[in-house]
Amino acid sequence: GDSWGIFTFLCAALCNLPALPALNCSEELGAGQSIQQTYDLTRYLEHQLRTLAGTYLNYLGPPFNEPDFNPPRLARAERVPSATVDLDLWRGLTDNARLAANYRAYSRLLCYLRVLDGQVGTAELRHRLAHFCASLQGLVLSIGGVMSSLGYPLPAGPAGPPAPPGAPAAPNDFLKKMDDFWLLKELQTWLWRSAKDFNRLKKKVPPAVVTLRLEARGF
Amino acid sequence: VSPAADPAVISPQDPTLLIGSSLVATCTVSPDFPLKAEDLYWTLNGRRLPAASYTALGPSTLSVALARLNGSRQQSGDNLVCHSRDGGILAGSCLYVGLPPEKPVNITCWSKNMKDLTCKWAPGTEGETFLHTNYTLKYKRRWYGQDNTCQEYHTAGTYSCHIPKDLALFTPYEIWVEASNRLGVAVSDVVMLDILDVVTTDPPSDVHVSRVGDLEDQLSVRWSSPPALKDFLFQAKYQIQYRVEDSSEWKVVDDVGNQTSCRLAGLRPGTVYFVQVRCNPFSIYGSKKAGIWSDWSNPTAASTPRSERVAGGCDPKGGEQNTTLRRELKQFFGWVKKHAYGCSNLGIKLYDQWRVWLQKSHKTRNQV
Repeated sequence: GDSWGIFTFLCAALCNLPALPALNCSEELGAGQSIQQTYDLTRYLEHQLRTLAGTYLNYLGPPFNEPDFNPPRLARAERVPSATVDLDLWRGLTDNARLAANYRAYSRLLCYLRVLDGQVGTAELRHRLAHFCASLQGLVLSIGGVMSSLGYPLPAGPAGPPAPPGAPAAPNDFLKKMDDFWLLKELQTWLWRSAKDFNRLKKKVPPAVVTLRLEARGF
Repeated sequence: VSPAADPAVISPQDPTLLIGSSLVATCTVSPDFPLKAEDLYWTLNGRRLPAASYTALGPSTLSVALARLNGSRQQSGDNLVCHSRDGGILAGSCLYVGLPPEKPVNITCWSKNMKDLTCKWAPGTEGETFLHTNYTLKYKRRWYGQDNTCQEYHTAGTYSCHIPKDLALFTPYEIWVEASNRLGVAVSDVVMLDILDVVTTDPPSDVHVSRVGDLEDQLSVRWSSPPALKDFLFQAKYQIQYRVEDSSEWKVVDDVGNQTSCRLAGLRPGTVYFVQVRCNPFSIYGSKKAGIWSDWSNPTAASTPRSERVAGGCDPKGGEQNTTLRRELKQFFGWVKKHAYGCSNLGIKLYDQWRVWLQKSHKTRNQV
């Protein structure tokens, strides 16, 4: 079921690549394709998250799985990077800053998710989480690929240990459930935002621009 | 975490309770918050608890009494929450209400080619404990002290574990399963076995089913012995099961012995049969004991020929015309084979397959 979904989706994404002559200007060519793929990956993850979040919130039980549930964001929840940002600030981001924010956010979110994976109760949930983490890892690598192809340095990622320094574990089970809830919420918000980020980047590095340049050089 | 960060504190925090027990929980608002006991209310799993069960124990402490608790709604614990009047969440506590585990039962194990051991078991009769229950399979060589713990779980279903290596032959093992949850531990009875007594192997490979000349009531089955047979000293005995395509009733042929071929007789003409073979490693190292039957091989299909001389009214209208047709077709195909190249696939066999298919689709149409 799920694996067929990924397979067909990735095939469809790859098949949308424009056919271009293989020439020396491969760097910007690569970036255009990578940006499209990264965009497609965020949409796919968004879809996957809907099922994962549904299952996980049901596991946490009501009121966590109620549609209007809106608990307070306690100070401790700030350690999860927030996607919400001032609109003008967002518009004014350079390509580098935009990509770096995405890269940093997903790297950290991946760490937190992996910790979750180790603690969660049912086999079904563990399976879904592992699957999602693998896809999320793919997204981080994809963003890294775009940054490299545009010549930007990768931001220093979070270190190996799962809990980044300065983030204590929740002191009780209920607060832990709240943390999990906010983690999933933030993940959702980031995926919505990333789609917009990559759409914006797509417009700045379209394959058509590269073709024009080639013609100008008399190829 | 500094107390100022949490608006209120609940006691007890995350308790574990037996089904049917009662609980009194208290919610104490932090001094930094301007809330009184009368500004608070409780919910359990999203449902508001009746004010009649509340008692103010102090200016900023409200208690709630819960009686005869049912098993937890979800294994992550019931959510008992203290709210302020406007619905805001002040604090929460997860209640784990359930039963201690029952002794796991029905431990069965098998070894694939004496290389490993897989065991499965069933949870105790009650089953539902409402709490997350961990199962650990343990084993040790009898008379040799050290307990070992199985690591690879869920290989053959939820309640199973796989021991991949370091198993000794010719020595009895003691095997048991421990079940534990927040309310206690239960240990199964110990099962004693020798790896050599529970050996199974792969199903036979390359199963071929073919016709026996023109005989319309027989099929010949051939297969290869499983590869592991060569590696160690056991004999193999086989069993065949077959059924007619549109039936779910299998006929078993038991006395196949250690041959790798067998002829099925007494079959219906012009019918498609499904055949499967399985293997039992038997008399391991001369022990004269049977092992455990392997899985059945993937089903192989074949059809018995249909006779040219059909007596009786079983055929649809125009039966006689069909047999003449068949004879002529046979002659035509013989001619084609001699004179045309690349048509070797044509033949009376193909015509038979087509007749079988016709019979099937005719039946399906009638059933609809």
